[in-house]
Amino acid sequence: MTLIATRPDAGPARPYRFPELQRVTAGGGTVVAAHLPGQLLASAMLLLDAGAAREPAGREGTATVLAKSLEEGTRVRDSAAYALALESLGAELSPSVDWDAFRVNVSAPVPLLLDAVRLAAEAARTPKLDPADVARVRDDEVTALRMDWAQPGPRADAALRADLFGAADRYGRPLHGDPASVAAVTVDDVLAFHQEWMLRPGVLLVAGDLSTLDLAALAEAAFAGTAGEPLAAEAPLGVPVRDRRRMILVDRPGSVQSTLRIGHRSPERATPDYVPMTLAATVLGGAFTSRLNHLIREVKGYTYGIRGAYAMTRRFGRFEVAAGVQTAVTVPAIADTIGEIARTQLDGVTEEELAVARSWRAGQLSVEMQTPGAIVGALGTLVLHGLPDDYYVTLRRQYLEATVAEVSAAAAEHLHPKGLTLVIEGDASVLRDELVAADIGDIVDAEL
Amino acid sequence: MGEVTSPSAPVVTTGYPWPIETTRLPNGLRVVVSEDRSSPVVCVNLWYDVGSRHEPAGQTGFAHLFEHLMFEGSAHVQKTEHMRLVQGNGGSLNATTNPDRTNYFESMPSEHLELALWLEADRMGGLVPALTQETLDNQREVVKNERRQRYENVPYGDAWLRLLALLYPDGHPYHHATIGSMEDLNAASLDTFKAFHRQYYAPNNCVLTVVGDGTPAEVFALAEKYFGAIEAVPSIPPAPSGHLPGPADTPVRETVTGAVPAPRIYLSHRTYAFGTAGYDATTVLAAVLGNGRGSRLYQRLADGARIAQPDYIGSYGVDLAHAPAPLIVTATAKDGVDVETLEEGLTEVVGSLLTEPVTEDELSRAKALLTTAWWRQVSTVGGRADTLGRYATQFGDPGAAAYRLPQWLAVTADDVTEAARYALRPESRVTLTYLPEAPAQPEEKSA
Repeated sequence: MTLIATRPDAGPARPYRFPELQRVTAGGGTVVAAHLPGQLLASAMLLLDAGAAREPAGREGTATVLAKSLEEGTRVRDSAAYALALESLGAELSPSVDWDAFRVNVSAPVPLLLDAVRLAAEAARTPKLDPADVARVRDDEVTALRMDWAQPGPRADAALRADLFGAADRYGRPLHGDPASVAAVTVDDVLAFHQEWMLRPGVLLVAGDLSTLDLAALAEAAFAGTAGEPLAAEAPLGVPVRDRRRMILVDRPGSVQSTLRIGHRSPERATPDYVPMTLAATVLGGAFTSRLNHLIREVKGYTYGIRGAYAMTRRFGRFEVAAGVQTAVTVPAIADTIGEIARTQLDGVTEEELAVARSWRAGQLSVEMQTPGAIVGALGTLVLHGLPDDYYVTLRRQYLEATVAEVSAAAAEHLHPKGLTLVIEGDASVLRDELVAADIGDIVDAEL
Repeated sequence: MGEVTSPSAPVVTTGYPWPIETTRLPNGLRVVVSEDRSSPVVCVNLWYDVGSRHEPAGQTGFAHLFEHLMFEGSAHVQKTEHMRLVQGNGGSLNATTNPDRTNYFESMPSEHLELALWLEADRMGGLVPALTQETLDNQREVVKNERRQRYENVPYGDAWLRLLALLYPDGHPYHHATIGSMEDLNAASLDTFKAFHRQYYAPNNCVLTVVGDGTPAEVFALAEKYFGAIEAVPSIPPAPSGHLPGPADTPVRETVTGAVPAPRIYLSHRTYAFGTAGYDATTVLAAVLGNGRGSRLYQRLADGARIAQPDYIGSYGVDLAHAPAPLIVTATAKDGVDVETLEEGLTEVVGSLLTEPVTEDELSRAKALLTTAWWRQVSTVGGRADTLGRYATQFGDPGAAAYRLPQWLAVTADDVTEAARYALRPESRVTLTYLPEAPAQPEEKSA
């Protein structure tokens, strides 16, 4: 048998294009639509400036309870009728809440999208919000959070967030609240949140074959009965970093793995260093061949996978490494992780590594943006961060042109190996002595 | 088959409105191409007809461990270079193993089509000489970590492993889970793994599918160039027969008390094999019963009786093709609801499928959701390639993929009732129940 030994060269590249965008303004709101000729499904998302940061203190989870209450009936039909109407279009409502926005997403075959958007708007703008239903949804959400918090991860995430942003600040509390804060949410909190934030027009994002979609009719459906001006943007939160490392132990008795969440704060999404930071994090912990995954999975066999990345929103950013490692190797895995972060901060990246990161990030802009749902998500990024229509074309070029010096400088400035918070969720009775002996940083128990 | 449609939905006569061309190389490799030049992306997908159903006693977990070893270098590809070359040229890649088969796939910017084919050919024909004890030992550890992360460290994480053993008799090819036994993996020698690859990773045991920005002529020529010299393996032993005389005739029950936050029940039955009319009816049945807020389970137990948690209720079939495939129905008790009440409710709703005919509204709702799910699956070149690879491997014809959606849409209320009568009788039921160790402790704390 003769296999061909020589690796083939790349063929001629086809030009990268982001779908053509159209805008329609009607009823006080704007539709931003991407044309995807020939796609059989279309996707729409109502993007509202009603993120979790707008929740009252101590009532974290209010927006999530609202999101889950939207389908409990509207002013014109009860919950069973609503479910039947929407699902008979092949559509399902996906309301979601993040730090920056409240999103209401529906997908459906193209000819049914308008009906699906009408129903989505009916739920978002005119939900019934019967007090008994809201209270029940709230109680169910407390139970669902307890279910979720029984998994490894959420408690570690909460401990890291509290340490980085301060447990007294909204940004230091879990995005969807915790079982206690959701239990404290009242029916009035949910009604007030809806009244205050959900009745402004917002933006409707659409991706699909625009040759048969009526954007004016979609605008009318999305913005009927809304009023109010766009809200002013608020200032970024800054980038305070610890002056020495801190370890937080979250006890999970009997755990066969330790769940690691290791990070520090970083600049918000608007930072001019967005591209070099993203590439530096790709070399360190983004790609499969990243420094962290190579050493800790492929060489050491400590984990099924380890990732590191910057997450950036309108007001804050955060660098975080996440992994589950075998209990017995927790300390060496942490030491290796800190070692790779420190090495990247100190010595930067190599041309060989950067070549992989550049091409991967650039190629992903085509490979991972094939579906209407993915394109609607990309439109959301444009709108939230005020980016121009040709942003993805520019971003692709910036990835491909980034130099070793630029990316290494970003790593030097935006990685803080000595200011890390290291959360370890695992069997404390097994781990504690070894963690103390390792002398990685101060060690405290999580207040969870 | 007629054009069947729900009242408001567009008429659907094919689930695959793209061209398909096929060829077969002299070494038996089947090549399937579906051209679509709407974006500069191409997916290369290989289905090897080897899964955990092929594993003999004492070698469980081999097919899955092999999926890992295939990324660790081959004759002309250095260890870890595979990932670097795919991601370093903008691609996304993965591989999965299930009881039926193992698949490998990468979606790439289309100028790297040839690279992807070269990489796949090198690991089909040249893995064995590159496989070292060190690599084997390392990936065994990675797989053990995978088992901890996915099955052992998560509440209810081992439900699928337990259900398989309860649904299929000892010795049946679906009885053991794909992740396998760590003892078997530890005990096996490097030579045993090399023999496994030589046996099953053969061109005549594989379907290569390329979907997206490439022409059939180009792909066929490249397939010949890179795979043509790999020799066929003359007699690949079939997996043990998955034949079963019919649904089980004795109910089975297992109760697990452990670190779970609330009581949960899984009811499961063997139904029909994927690809049969009976399984199409089962697919529609599963959607009527447990897909979405309009489903019977949600309407009656989460919304109506309010005994089940709304986020954790549903039913689905697992699409296995070589023996009657499982239907799984699950619900988790709300606070203060005891597990007996939940089981009574679940049993009643499942039983309603035998006694209460499915209405037209229920049927159209289910079909509309299945229609959207189908189009979503084929909305990417990756989803399309995997679909064609499946139909070529399991039914000998990638074009058969076009019939699945129309066949779902042709299912009648009577078909659903008949499937329920055949498969969902109490005497064939597997009941797996999880109970918390102690009364659930609320996690509230004073912040």
